[in-house]
Amino acid sequence: MAFISKNDSNKSGYTKKDVRIIGFGNKYRSDDGIGIRIVEELEKLDFFKNIEIIDGGTSGIDLIFLIKGCGKLIIIDAIDAGQDVGGVVNIKVDDVEEFIKSDFKSLSLHDLNLVDVLKLVKALKIDTEISIIGVRPKNIDFGDRLSPEIEKKVPQIISIIKEEIII
Amino acid sequence: MVNNLNIEVSPVSRVEGHGDLILDVKNKKIEKLIFKIPESPRFFEAMLVGRKYDEPSHITSRICGICSVAHTCASIKATEKALDIKPSKQTINLRKLIYHHENVQSNVLHVYFLAAPDFFGVGSVVPLAETHPEVVNIALRTKKMANDMVRIIGGRAIHPIRTVVGGFTKLPTEEEMIKMKEILKSCYPDLEESLEVLKTLDIPDFKRETEYISISDTIDYALYDGKIKSTDGWEIDDQNYLDKINEKVVQHSTAKHCWASRDAFMVGALARFNNNYDKLTDNAKKYAEELGLKAPCYNTFMNNIAQFVEIVHNVDDSIRLIDEIMEEGLDEDKAMAEIKPGAGRGVGVVEAPRGLLIHDYTYNDKGRVEKANLIIPTGMNYANIEKDMHALIPTIIDKSEDEIKLACEMLIRAYDPCISCSTHLLNVKLVNK
Repeated sequence: MAFISKNDSNKSGYTKKDVRIIGFGNKYRSDDGIGIRIVEELEKLDFFKNIEIIDGGTSGIDLIFLIKGCGKLIIIDAIDAGQDVGGVVNIKVDDVEEFIKSDFKSLSLHDLNLVDVLKLVKALKIDTEISIIGVRPKNIDFGDRLSPEIEKKVPQIISIIKEEIII
Repeated sequence: MVNNLNIEVSPVSRVEGHGDLILDVKNKKIEKLIFKIPESPRFFEAMLVGRKYDEPSHITSRICGICSVAHTCASIKATEKALDIKPSKQTINLRKLIYHHENVQSNVLHVYFLAAPDFFGVGSVVPLAETHPEVVNIALRTKKMANDMVRIIGGRAIHPIRTVVGGFTKLPTEEEMIKMKEILKSCYPDLEESLEVLKTLDIPDFKRETEYISISDTIDYALYDGKIKSTDGWEIDDQNYLDKINEKVVQHSTAKHCWASRDAFMVGALARFNNNYDKLTDNAKKYAEELGLKAPCYNTFMNNIAQFVEIVHNVDDSIRLIDEIMEEGLDEDKAMAEIKPGAGRGVGVVEAPRGLLIHDYTYNDKGRVEKANLIIPTGMNYANIEKDMHALIPTIIDKSEDEIKLACEMLIRAYDPCISCSTHLLNVKLVNK
């Protein structure tokens, strides 16, 4: 898929101040909480201390406000983009149309789904670089822990986020 | 015109969560009508057992990204009642203030983003942004206003964290209070423009009288606190909800069905409007009048209009509350009440944007939850949604299948069902055409 590329945004020239990171999900639905878990981990790390990190919960429409006025947005979410369970994808939303055509499911949002929000972003002509780092969950039943297979991906996801924002 | 119809709307889009409607009509008679919730229920009640008194509000605020303040407040109220904690008047006023803006956040989302596309004849908010950008921009500005209010009071726009058992971990500053008042005053032009837009909508002419239940107060248009009141003539203390509100398990849904005086009742903005019209601000009443909304109203589709009238009330009353809080002066000493964990049972009843929300906790002598019961508004509306369908379908049976399908979806959406609370999206199936 043309919109999936690995970590090629370092040339963008954004400063940390221009970057926002948002995790989506419900931390009481097991692996659906990966986005929130990553947010909690990032908040502990010095590397991220000048970066706005947001616990987005499950509210999709609010993404519009978070996208507006920021140079680059990194979204962390439980996503089924056809990868294996536990597989991590780094999706660049360069082409919303192409992105929408893909068989891609965000599992976390309650109101408008991620594809609808991105369509709205396009319709409103909001121009922000968006990367979606998604992990395919194993289990989204009720529970406050990640599956071991997902838990062990936490360091990898944090490394990908770092690479995304290193200038 | 059809005699036989077999419709499955699966999923019904633009509702919070996930659900199905299955409709089987033979010779113009409804043979089967099921509003089905296919996902597993949320086991938050079980998750609460064994938790310390300060944990349930944070856990239950995650049940829904849209109603997190409502779950937080219902939870806090249940715990405070159980442990005999008395929050200050300042705390209660600040809770009412943040509560107004969760109602605005949610009502804006529903009226403009989820329901409006039906009335404008477009498939979703995305084409609406192309055909009616002014509507979408008003919606975004109003939503942002409410987000700003929630963030200033609660520390975050989504899942606010400063609202806790006993009070607030941090108070807004006087400057922030003044800023909030300015933000609120600036949104009136958008409300006026919305009024003109909403006047042009062709709301379906549908009428089915039912029992309407909400909380009610002698002074406020009750959202945060009040007795439980029915249009069938009864009113009870919120602690005694079990005297009137009954739940039963039904085979086709993982969410329970509820009943009170009759076999079904409605909760939400229209129920609140019907019970508490006289407590609305004069300005909100003026908007209601201009939109043709009069109490009592038995047209479920008017729930969307009632939601908009509530937005006007929320803004008006927030300005009044800010003035009251400022007049008395923000006092750090009143930010937190004394807490002595112990045994007890308490019920917290609030109006979530979608209607009555009940949290019922029993604590043991170690201050840990022994038993929890949560009744959510969409669960209360399920039986009434099915009754409305039974009333609506015979009136539209001569229309095309697509029109019937859309009307069914619109009716379900009018309830603003947050199926994610009780479980999770809505699908519609017309079977046997």
